[in-house]
Amino acid sequence: MIIKVKNLVKRYGDLIALDHLSLSVNEGEVFGLLGPNGSGKTTAINCILSLLKYDKGEIEIFGQPMTPDAYNIKRDIGIVMQNVAVYNELTVYENIDYFCGLYVQDKKLRKKLVDEAIDFVELSEFTKFYPKKLSGGLLRRLNIACGIAHKPKLIILDEPTVAVDPQSRNRILEGILELNRQGATIIYTSHYMEEVEQICSRIMILDKGKAIATGTKDELKAMISMGEKITVETYSLSEEQLSRLRRLPNIASAEYKNQTLEIKSNKGQHNLETILEFIKKEGIRFGKIYSEMPTLNDVFLEITGKGLRD
Amino acid sequence: MFAHIFINRLKCLLRDRETIFWTMMFPLLLAVFFNMALLNVNNDEMFKAIDIAVVDDSSYQSDRHFKAALDEASKGDGRLFNLTVTSKDNADELLNENKIAGYIVVEEPIKLVVNKSGINQAIVKSFIDSYMQTASSVNSILFEKPNAQQELVSSLNERQQYVKEVSATNAEPNNVLNYFYTLIAMACMYGCFFGMREASDIQADISPLAARVNISPVHKLKAFIYSFCASLILHLFEIFILLMFLRFVLGVDFGPKTGYVILTSVLGSITGVSFGAFVSAIVKKSENIKIAILLGVSMTGSFLAGMMYQNMKYIVAQNVPVLSYLNPVNLLTDAFYSLYYYDTFSRYALNIGFLCIFIVVFSFGTYLIIRRRKYASL
Repeated sequence: MIIKVKNLVKRYGDLIALDHLSLSVNEGEVFGLLGPNGSGKTTAINCILSLLKYDKGEIEIFGQPMTPDAYNIKRDIGIVMQNVAVYNELTVYENIDYFCGLYVQDKKLRKKLVDEAIDFVELSEFTKFYPKKLSGGLLRRLNIACGIAHKPKLIILDEPTVAVDPQSRNRILEGILELNRQGATIIYTSHYMEEVEQICSRIMILDKGKAIATGTKDELKAMISMGEKITVETYSLSEEQLSRLRRLPNIASAEYKNQTLEIKSNKGQHNLETILEFIKKEGIRFGKIYSEMPTLNDVFLEITGKGLRD
Repeated sequence: MFAHIFINRLKCLLRDRETIFWTMMFPLLLAVFFNMALLNVNNDEMFKAIDIAVVDDSSYQSDRHFKAALDEASKGDGRLFNLTVTSKDNADELLNENKIAGYIVVEEPIKLVVNKSGINQAIVKSFIDSYMQTASSVNSILFEKPNAQQELVSSLNERQQYVKEVSATNAEPNNVLNYFYTLIAMACMYGCFFGMREASDIQADISPLAARVNISPVHKLKAFIYSFCASLILHLFEIFILLMFLRFVLGVDFGPKTGYVILTSVLGSITGVSFGAFVSAIVKKSENIKIAILLGVSMTGSFLAGMMYQNMKYIVAQNVPVLSYLNPVNLLTDAFYSLYYYDTFSRYALNIGFLCIFIVVFSFGTYLIIRRRKYASL
């Protein structure tokens, strides 16, 4: 086990930021911490890294207690902060070299690692650029390179894609998966459920400092009663038809607004087929029909009663 | 690890144009402005012979003693008067045109004609009074004791001094130096901008960069000390450039104790950098507020040390003496002036002693705050 956290409690005065949080991260996995802003993701990471004092709990990394002096543990950790943390007066190359140099003293080895990191984040054309000259996406990639250049066994990425364009976001996510393929264990925090679904092998959902669910994305989705969500574009639907639709088996809810019919079904088989038959039987004219499986947002919504981005 | 952090830190600081401007270029520019503004202050303060006239009439020509005294006072480089012997009408004309401070009419008693009162007129009057008093004394003595002529002459030549003058210095008093010394002191204190950055970049609750360094396998205090050394070396270099510029370009006199001047500069630089680190560590506010505090303290200190108005230093020393010792800018200024002016080291040692106390307080205070390895909040 790479990380083991037991009963972690962190208070800011009367506010409980982490409420008896326990988690474990296994070697080789991409572990996602998902939760809305203020749910305690970054606080948890800062406690794990021994940056923040906590009121109660135990933290072990690589089987040893994590403390500010645990340099042998720190040597194998790479961190990519939520805020870009680079020196504006150093070039792209110098920044990566500087942070890598805090871990690796051998100059030859360091040069090789820095070059690899630059290739990895595709910043070869920008090595002599100062951070101020880089776009938001390139800056994020530099931030990542500074955190991973020393080839750590454990990489913690705290919302690395905030304010990044979709193209750069995809590159970053692909890069994270590549790091994982190369052997690194990853902890990835985000409030973007799509990202977490896309790259994480196991996910913990946090709300108000509490772990409300943990598992693979399929396990999490299996926890809720909701089935697929079906959306039908239709120009005419009477109240009677809507009532009859709601009475069909496995229909959790049906709403008609702005010429769009939204149906949420409970778990079960052939839900889409049943609805299509109903539409045909009632002679309802329709445009397009979409069917979506439940997302992590639906999981969060069902457990907490609010959306991830509320 | 030292070389890695030190060299990269030095690169960062050297490329920080704003800080380099305020810590190096600004004092140099200010020195040039001071030099331009203060160029003639010492010349203006030097005594200049007073232009006077004496009415050339029979009374003047017949009073050979007064004539001799006046001639004596109007001879040589250190003369008291630039004397014009002329007619009464011409003397009036010169006086009306303000070409002379006044003119003397030799009669009984000797008369000084002026059209306004001032220092020059007071000096001429004092000269005449002194002459008349001495002449009167001599006349009285000779009248009472006609045989005491020889004794009188020798006693006039041997005026008794009842107070012994002991000079504490061989240096010339210089009204301009204090301005330049406060400028150096201010430049030393501007090292606080480097110190501020050092403390900010090592505290994870202040900057994400610091958090990244704190997570690395490098001892936090070691990283801080290595970076601090880079700041200190760079700031010292800037101070030496300023000293060189003042000494060799502007010709500012530092006296003969060069080694001590360098020592004072080094201590001043350490005070400035450690002061910035201390303020940055203790004030949990934005960078702008920290800069405002540092600038405010440095500039107020410079003002109280006499940078804008030289007499302020003496006003503070007279009315709130404790403030003189609580103001590092004043301590540095006074240390430089002590080195220049006094032959002894007692006053210099006092200033340096207080400065060392400041360094210890700032450094220890910074240590106590930044030694924290975990934070209550980030």
